Amino acid sequence: MLNISNLSASIDDKNILRNFNLKIKPGEVHTIMGPNGSGKSTLANILSGRKGYKVEGQVFYEGKNLLEIPIEERAQKGIFLAFQYPTEIPGVNTNNFLKTSLNTIRKFRGLKELDSLEFLKLVKEKSKNLKIEEKILSRQLNVGFSGGEKKKNEILQMTILEPKLVILDETDSGLDIDALRIVSEGVNSLRSANRSFLIITHYQRLLDYIKPDFVHVLVNGKIAKTGSSNLAQELEKDGYENVTTE
Amino acid sequence: MNLKFEEFQKSNSDFKELNKLRVKNFKKFETLGFPTKKQEHWKYTDLKTIINNNFEELQIYKDVKKLKFNTKLLIKNFEHNSVILLNGNFIESNFNFEDKKKVSIKSLRSVLENKNDFEKIKTYFDDDQNSLISLNHALVNDGVILQVEDDYTFIKPLVIYNFFDETAEEKIINNKVFISLGNNSNLSLVDFYKCENSIKYFNNTINNYTIKKNAILKKFTINADLDKSYYYNSTKVKSYSNSVFENFILSLGPNLIKNEIHCNLLEDFSSCFINGVMLLNGDQHHELKTNVNHKYENCKSSQLIKSVLLDKSNGTYQGKIYVDKSAQKTNGYQLSKALILSEKSEFNSKPELEIYADDVKCSHGSTIGNIDENSIFYLMSRGLTKDQANKMIVEGFLNEAIQTITEPDIKLLISQLFRERINKVNL
Repeated sequence: MLNISNLSASIDDKNILRNFNLKIKPGEVHTIMGPNGSGKSTLANILSGRKGYKVEGQVFYEGKNLLEIPIEERAQKGIFLAFQYPTEIPGVNTNNFLKTSLNTIRKFRGLKELDSLEFLKLVKEKSKNLKIEEKILSRQLNVGFSGGEKKKNEILQMTILEPKLVILDETDSGLDIDALRIVSEGVNSLRSANRSFLIITHYQRLLDYIKPDFVHVLVNGKIAKTGSSNLAQELEKDGYENVTTE
Repeated sequence: MNLKFEEFQKSNSDFKELNKLRVKNFKKFETLGFPTKKQEHWKYTDLKTIINNNFEELQIYKDVKKLKFNTKLLIKNFEHNSVILLNGNFIESNFNFEDKKKVSIKSLRSVLENKNDFEKIKTYFDDDQNSLISLNHALVNDGVILQVEDDYTFIKPLVIYNFFDETAEEKIINNKVFISLGNNSNLSLVDFYKCENSIKYFNNTINNYTIKKNAILKKFTINADLDKSYYYNSTKVKSYSNSVFENFILSLGPNLIKNEIHCNLLEDFSSCFINGVMLLNGDQHHELKTNVNHKYENCKSSQLIKSVLLDKSNGTYQGKIYVDKSAQKTNGYQLSKALILSEKSEFNSKPELEIYADDVKCSHGSTIGNIDENSIFYLMSRGLTKDQANKMIVEGFLNEAIQTITEPDIKLLISQLFRERINKVNL
């Protein structure tokens, strides 16, 4: 599904990722952990198409050169990034936004666009499953949302858009236990043989709820260690200091 | 420029007093000419240059017999009363939804032809430093006089249609509209401008509104899809005790418009709310100037103006709040926000507070900026194209002002027109 080889990225002459390699197969859940400044968010940004980085190396998504695909097409082709800091957009109604987004993606996939009634039914069902209050959907997009509401809104978008590759960029940061559970349930409910996840996190805590297939430790822009979900527990105990780059 | 005033005079059979007033005012206009940017209030709209550059030979509109308007232009799926002006001429009125004993409607022309009736509005032909007002006094040929009795609430809104047809090409058309609401009366008024063809004309309209005690006048100015026209529109409002004046302005259409609103809060607990949206492209040039005069204590006013500028367009908002020394406990608020989306577009913002009382709450703010890149990225990362993302953000930005509309039917109408327009512009 995703094949990253020798990816290097820099911003303002500062090297962030150095010869980064990662392969994700359909159905796999990968977690990337690492200290502050190790390049976790840069990776998420590059995969979703944010500008401003000098990028070298190769990223293939479903056999196509991802770095050449425009931002919106990446989303249409099934990549979803749950933002670390979802942007507040005044005046834009959350429901309208989500409907436009879903229909653009459905159109791209050759599916029938949903009318307002069908859409509302879908949203009602999905938000109920996630225990998200529907009223936040009639508000302006992320405006005045609490940290938890913003992240839940990201998860709701994820479940509605049904992507193939989900990148969660520190979605668990700043969440209380209840919100963390909602986020995890959202992810777990979407796990399937054709869908892959790349979960970027600081803390082991999220992995109490989501059991990844692989845990990678990112240090200085490179994967320093890869292991099973047990690795996360070791890290929680010993910290990142014991993991050094080769 | 030669407006051929003498010819106009001859074709009118005015009685002596009116004729004298016209001559006096025309002389005044001739001395001053069209306003230029050297005048403080016209700093951002150099009307003289604009007229000279865009009109080969501006002429006074001559009456055309048997004017007929296109009924297809009337607003559909919207129950309303109507007054129809075509090229500034009063064509017909329809108040079928209302109690006709409570509403009196006349054409200004009929009043200008009757010496006794004219006496009643003569004071409105007073001197003004503004040469366009003098020009209007000199050349006005028709308009509307609407009087609403005490204690009458309109059942449906009134739409004043301002239609223009091909006979208006290269013409200047001058109107006056008088609306007086009696005590405890209530009217929603839509001032609707529409021209079927791309005709170039200059319309100069002066509105005079009187809102008596406890009365409410809600006005919605809609300039949706005219493209070659030029407008000057001046509104003077007298607000009495506990009255409300609301004005929403949808400024999308004409080539040029200068909209002035002077609201005088003359008695306690009167209020004035002016909100509006400008979405300009091409060479459009729109200016809104509001002047709220707090002349008495305990009055309230606010303005929210949101503007988006594309291509080579030019937008201006000049908002003044004046607080007289006797106007204690005034509550005044003003906010202007603009997005400039092209290198060649321009927005001028000039907030002014002039406060002589010491116990007031007045604030104002003005921002001019661009679309936030993070917002575009967020929407695009959800599959929206750049164009879709831009439109959604711009629509959301302007929507904040549209959401202030308190009449649901009219809000729907304005939202529709606004959406039609936003789908047409290239963002």
